[in-house]
Amino acid sequence: MSVSWTPVALTPDLPPGGAVPVRAPWGELVVWRSATGRLSCFPERCPHRGMRLSHGFVRGEMISCIYHGWRYDTAGQCRKIPAHPDLEPPAAIRVHSYPVAEAGGLIWIAKTLPESAPPETGAEPLRSLVIASPASAVTEAAGVVPGVPGPVSLPDLAAPLILALQDMGEETAVHALITPADSAARIAASRALEAFRRAVEAEEIAA
Amino acid sequence: MTRDKRDEWYPVAIAAMLPPARGRDTLLLGEPIRVRAGDSGPQVETAEGRALPVTIAYGHVWTCLGTPGDLFPIPEAAQPGRRLVDVGMVRVKCSPLRAVENFLDIAHFPFVHTDILGSEPHTEVYRYDVRIRDEVDEVWATKVRFYQPQAAKSAEGGIETEYMYRVPHPTCSVLYKTSPPMPGEWDVIALFVQPLTEELCDVWPWMALYDDASSMAEMIQFQQMIFLQDRSILENQIPRRLPLDPGMESPTRADLTSIAYRRWLKRRGYTYGAQLVAA
Amino acid sequence: MILYDYVLSADCYAVRLLAALTGQRLETRAVDFYPGAAEKGAAFRAINPAGTLPVLVDGEVTLAEPAAILMYLATGTSFAAEGASAQEWLARSRHFAAALGGARQHDMLEVPGDIDALRAEGSLWLRILEAALFEAGEEGCGFLLGDTPTIADIAIFPHVALAPDGGVELGAWPRIRLWMRRLRALPGFIEMPGIHRLHDLKPEPGPDYGGAAA
Repeated sequence: MSVSWTPVALTPDLPPGGAVPVRAPWGELVVWRSATGRLSCFPERCPHRGMRLSHGFVRGEMISCIYHGWRYDTAGQCRKIPAHPDLEPPAAIRVHSYPVAEAGGLIWIAKTLPESAPPETGAEPLRSLVIASPASAVTEAAGVVPGVPGPVSLPDLAAPLILALQDMGEETAVHALITPADSAARIAASRALEAFRRAVEAEEIAA
Repeated sequence: MTRDKRDEWYPVAIAAMLPPARGRDTLLLGEPIRVRAGDSGPQVETAEGRALPVTIAYGHVWTCLGTPGDLFPIPEAAQPGRRLVDVGMVRVKCSPLRAVENFLDIAHFPFVHTDILGSEPHTEVYRYDVRIRDEVDEVWATKVRFYQPQAAKSAEGGIETEYMYRVPHPTCSVLYKTSPPMPGEWDVIALFVQPLTEELCDVWPWMALYDDASSMAEMIQFQQMIFLQDRSILENQIPRRLPLDPGMESPTRADLTSIAYRRWLKRRGYTYGAQLVAA
Repeated sequence: MILYDYVLSADCYAVRLLAALTGQRLETRAVDFYPGAAEKGAAFRAINPAGTLPVLVDGEVTLAEPAAILMYLATGTSFAAEGASAQEWLARSRHFAAALGGARQHDMLEVPGDIDALRAEGSLWLRILEAALFEAGEEGCGFLLGDTPTIADIAIFPHVALAPDGGVELGAWPRIRLWMRRLRALPGFIEMPGIHRLHDLKPEPGPDYGGAAA
């Protein structure tokens, strides 16, 4: 499981300057995008005082912890400690940097670099939502397994959606993509997805 | 000099606002207790109905599950001309020790209390003195200086503020800072923490200020504003408990007070709310 | 204009925020809501018999309902909004306040409540908001009623941004996160405790950064 890619967000939901918390099977992480568009994935805790880095802020090519402003570059090296502006932070002050990739409209992370690139989906990002059910229940209803985007036909939709599931334990994130469609069709797809969520949570459907 | 955590006094209510009749059901070190207004003053009892010792000091009702000693002194509380401010309780999902440690920290001011207690680019923490005063068994940090855009409700414009920090009790801290209207005097701001569990606490800030201009509500709300800015930090530190293992976090010279506090806690054997081994 | 204010109240903050965004000056009067419960006292009930905050007093006008205060302040500004959709969101803001605000008061100030039910109700409203923001985005709109923010956004935003105070995390709501970011980046935006400054917007301090304090 940990040697494959895990989808964690749709591309447009993490624009430059953004940082989001991610619950991975191996721990809590932050994924952030620099001003020039570069993605990075670190453990969620700042090594200084344990503050969640996803609460931090991105300036240029660095993410800063909100607590004391410690700045980390895209490789995870601490570059600035504002309390000691003249100090060059020691090389030992760094956070681990996990593999992160962008493909098929999705942002993917992995614990160690997988042998192959994450899959293309041939579809456009629609929206992500969280279903308050374990991944097994969503898989049973949708017929796709976590980490492998696949087509899912929902009632009242002309074309299937591509769903990428992210196992978050008690909950499951569903990253939905759609073949090119106008806004009315995309809104209809979003509503069908909401109905799908209600049905899964009510344990009303199985594939 | 170790002391059992059950032998410490802990704050459980504001003395001037005692919960009537039914009282306040709360926890102390994980044990259910009830605080209420009795006929002759506040009463605190355990779930089994055991009456606990009670003392009233610095605006608060304090109790103890074991055999209490003397509560630490705050001599300034009796000085004429100060206004004593009961700020009220704020519950925080964090270790009581994390709440105290954050109170001892100044390097976060520009980022968490932006344009009030600090602002970029004035982020530097200058050298200050820290020591454990063995004669009173307290941690003291002195000569702490920081540039502050609005140091207090009574402050107009930025000043370089001087601080002294004092930890006289594992879950309580007292800070002394330049009083904007009385530059020769220190304002006193204390943080009294009631440990509900190792990962949940009720924080009771209390102040003794020189400020004749602000209303009581304004002084209360200034301090609530400051503390609530800290709360969202405290609830998002990982782990919830305070790591006493030096390998778990990376302090710098700006963190000397926190380093001394952690060392003092270890020496006292106070580990309620602490994480001893790296997870 | 006088605002009877409590610094930790989400509804009071909405009023301060709208005033700041529209460049209107408010004279705030701190009311000791907590711990003093001064809004329930006789002195304050002379101003607002309902004993609630916020209260806006402007000459002969006294308003004590959050939505009405926002409408009043927004009059003649780009934040004004009329019609059924605006009313829908202003009314919904009371549900956000009851659920997310209720969870916040429970977790923060020991106010009794069924915390699981409050959080579940709050999450339901966040789902409705997330879906609405998605649909607005499909129409090319970054805000609830269009491409500029209105009182609909301002009425909802504080309760949402402060949801983590009540144990409702906002990590899993991408459209809400982006919407909050747009609001926080507006010129004149002000914070309240629990909503931090968007430090990203401030340039990195220069070479003399951290130099001698003033």
